[in-house]
Amino acid sequence: MSKKALRKRLALGLAPILLVASLTGCRFGFASDPDDPNADKQEVVIDTSTDTFEYDASLKGTSITLLNTKAEIQVALEKVSKQFEEKSGVHVEVMPVTDGDSPYTKMISLYNSGNPPTLAILDTTDVLALAKEKAVDLTGEAWTKEAQGYLTELDGAVYSFPLCVEGRGVIYNQAVIEAALGEKFDPESITTLNEFITLLDKLAANGIERPVSMAKEDWSLGAHQLQYLYETYDGTSEGAQEAIEAIKAGKLDLHSYNRMSDFLNMFDTLKKYNVAVKDPLGADYDEMAIDLVDGKTAFWFNGNWAWPNLAEAGAEESDVYGFLPYFMNNDPGDFVNQKVQASPSKQIMLDGQIATAQQQAAGKAFLNWLVYSEIGQQMLVKTCNLIPPFTNNPYEPADPLSRDIYQKVHDGKAFNSSAIVPNDHWSALGAAMQKYLVDRSDREELMASIQSYWDEQK
Amino acid sequence: MKSKNNGKDFGIFALPGIFFFLAVVMVPFVYGAYLTLTDWNGVSNVKNFVAFKNFGGVVKDAQFWTSLLLTFRYVILVVVIVNILAFAIAYLLTRGMKGQNFFRAGFFTPNLIGGIVLGYIWQFVFSRVFVSIGESTGWSLFEVSWLSDPTNAFIALVVVSVWQLSGYMILIYVAGFMGLNADVMEAASIDGASGFTKLKNIIIPLMMPSFTICLFLTLSRAFMVYDVNLSLTAGAPYGTTEMAAMHVYEKAFTSRQFGVGQAEALILFVIVAILSGIQVYMTKKREVEA
Repeated sequence: MSKKALRKRLALGLAPILLVASLTGCRFGFASDPDDPNADKQEVVIDTSTDTFEYDASLKGTSITLLNTKAEIQVALEKVSKQFEEKSGVHVEVMPVTDGDSPYTKMISLYNSGNPPTLAILDTTDVLALAKEKAVDLTGEAWTKEAQGYLTELDGAVYSFPLCVEGRGVIYNQAVIEAALGEKFDPESITTLNEFITLLDKLAANGIERPVSMAKEDWSLGAHQLQYLYETYDGTSEGAQEAIEAIKAGKLDLHSYNRMSDFLNMFDTLKKYNVAVKDPLGADYDEMAIDLVDGKTAFWFNGNWAWPNLAEAGAEESDVYGFLPYFMNNDPGDFVNQKVQASPSKQIMLDGQIATAQQQAAGKAFLNWLVYSEIGQQMLVKTCNLIPPFTNNPYEPADPLSRDIYQKVHDGKAFNSSAIVPNDHWSALGAAMQKYLVDRSDREELMASIQSYWDEQK
Repeated sequence: MKSKNNGKDFGIFALPGIFFFLAVVMVPFVYGAYLTLTDWNGVSNVKNFVAFKNFGGVVKDAQFWTSLLLTFRYVILVVVIVNILAFAIAYLLTRGMKGQNFFRAGFFTPNLIGGIVLGYIWQFVFSRVFVSIGESTGWSLFEVSWLSDPTNAFIALVVVSVWQLSGYMILIYVAGFMGLNADVMEAASIDGASGFTKLKNIIIPLMMPSFTICLFLTLSRAFMVYDVNLSLTAGAPYGTTEMAAMHVYEKAFTSRQFGVGQAEALILFVIVAILSGIQVYMTKKREVEA
C-alpha cells in the first residue's frame, strides 16, 4: 500500500468514529428529556369553593420570592403561588434551582449579591447553617402547634417551616411478587431479616433471579442507607444526635455498636441480590424504576420521592407499591423491623436580613395559608403531591408511595428520626460505601473510614 | 515618537480593556487571595483574620494532594497525546488529499460541543453503548462500564479530553503547516532531505510558534479541567477520578470550607502559572526564523 493511501485510510477511518460517537449520543440520550417529572401529569382539581382563611388586606401588592430546591414540584408551586396571589394579592415569585447548582451554593450567591429569596426551601442542615444569622425566628407561629414532633429547633427556637414528610425503605411491587410466587403477598408477614432473605430466595427460585435494585449514587448510599446507622440508635432524632456525638467522642465503638453490624447485614443482603451485581457502580437510576415496574426486579431501595420516576416508567396510581422496613436483624420486636423511617426533610426558611417587615409578614401569611386555608391544604397535598406534617390537614396523598408513608405515619408504623450530619457526609462516606459495594474494601476499612470522618469533624 | 494624541488613544483603546481586566480578573483574584487569610464561610457577615491557618488545612487535606497527583498524570497524558495526535493529523490533512477540508471540519466539531454535554454523551457511550456491545459480543473489555473501575474511568477521562481538545490543536497545527515557506521546503528537498530528516530538522523547528501555543493551551486547559470531569465521572467511582479543580469546588461548597478551598485554588493557580511560564519560555527560546 502506498504511503498516501495509508494516510488517507487513517484519516478516513478516524473521522467517522468521532462523528458516529457523537451522533449516537445525541439520538438516544437527548432526543427528549425523560427526567422531566412535570411532563405529562394529569391536572388535579382543587376545590376552591370553601375558604375560611382570613386574608390581611394590608399585604396586597407585596411581592416576595420563594427559592425552590425541589425540582419536581416547580410547576406545582407556580400553580400554588398563582392561587395564593388571586386570593391574597401577594405575588410569590417561585425561583428554581437548576440541576447543576446546589441549593446552598445558590443561597450563598443570592445573599452575596444582596438579593436573597424571602422564603427558601432548604435541607435541614442548610437551615441550621444559616438560621442564626439570616432567618426569622418562627417559634411563635400558630402552625408550630400543628406540627408537633416535626419541628427542627436550634437552641430552643424554631427557624423553619417543615414542608413535607418523606419516608424511605425497601419499595416493593406487590403485583410482581404475587405473580412470581403465585400467591397473595402480605408485606406485614415479613418481620425479620431472615424472613426477608427467605422471600428473596423464593423469588429467585421463581424466575426473578436478582430481585433488588440499589442506587449506586453517593447520596443514596452515603445518606439514605448509611444514616440508618445513627437514626436507628433509638429511633428518634435526639438519639441520632447522641449516637453521632458518641462516635465523634470515641465513646461508641463501631466494632461493638450493634447497629453497625445490623446495618451491614442488611446492606450485604441487598448487595447480594442486586440486579446489577456484576457491575453495581454501572447501575442506572432511571433503569431501576423501569425494572421495578416491568417486574425484572421486585424491590428498590428508595423513598417516596421516587414516584415520578416510577410513573414515568409506566406505573399507575392504582397499582400497589409500598415500603418494607430496612430489616436489620432477626428480632421481630425490634422497631427497625416493624417501622419505616419517615421524617420532615425540606424546610422553608424566612429571610430576616434583607426582606422588609412587609415582605416578612407576607411570607408568614403564605406559610399560614398553606397550613390553615382549605385551598392551601389541598394544594400542598394534591398539587404538590407532598405529605404534610400538619395534623390539621385532612387530605391524603394520591400516589401509592406517599399514601403508604402517610398511612404508616398515621398508624404509628414509621419512626421519625433524622440525623443532622455535616454537609459533606453523603459525598465523603458515599464514596466509602461505593467502595464497599464493589468489594474493594471490607467492613473493617469501611468502619475505619466512618470513624476517621467523624474524627475530622471534632 | 510621542505626541499629544497618545494619551487620548490610550484612553480610547486601552482603558476599557484595562477596566474590565481589573474588574473581572484582578479584583476577584486579589480578594480571593485575601479570603484565604480569613475564616469566612461564604455567607456570614463577619470575617475573622486567621493568618495562614487555611494553608495548614491544605497541608492536612490528603485528598487534595491525591487529586493533584492524579491531575499531573492526567495532564501529562493529555498534553502528550493531544499534541502528537493533532500534529500527525494536521500533517496528513495538509498533504493535499481529497476532501481534506471536510476532515478538518469533522475533527474540529467535538471542540464545538460544550464540556458538560460532551461528558454526558460519553457517559452514555461508556456505560450503555459499550456495555451492550460487550454483552452482545462477549468482549470482556466492554463487559462492565468503564466508569465503574478507577483505572478505566481515568482512561475514559483522558480519551474524552483528547477527543475534545485535538480538533482545536489540529487547526493550529494546520495553520502552522500552511505557513511553511515552500521555497525552504523545496530547498531542503533539493539538498537531499526527505521524510524524517526534513520533519526533524526543518518542519519542527519552523513550527515552534505553533507548539508554543498548542502546548500552552493544552497544559492550562488540562490542569483546570472541571466540566468533563463533572459530567463524565463526577469523581466516581468512589472519588478516585476527582481532579484538583473539582476537589477545590467540593471543598469550598460541599464541605463548606471556603478558606481551605480558596487556598487550594491559589496553590493550583501558582502551579499552573509556573509550569506554563516555564513551558512558554522553553519553547519560545527554540523558535527560529527561516
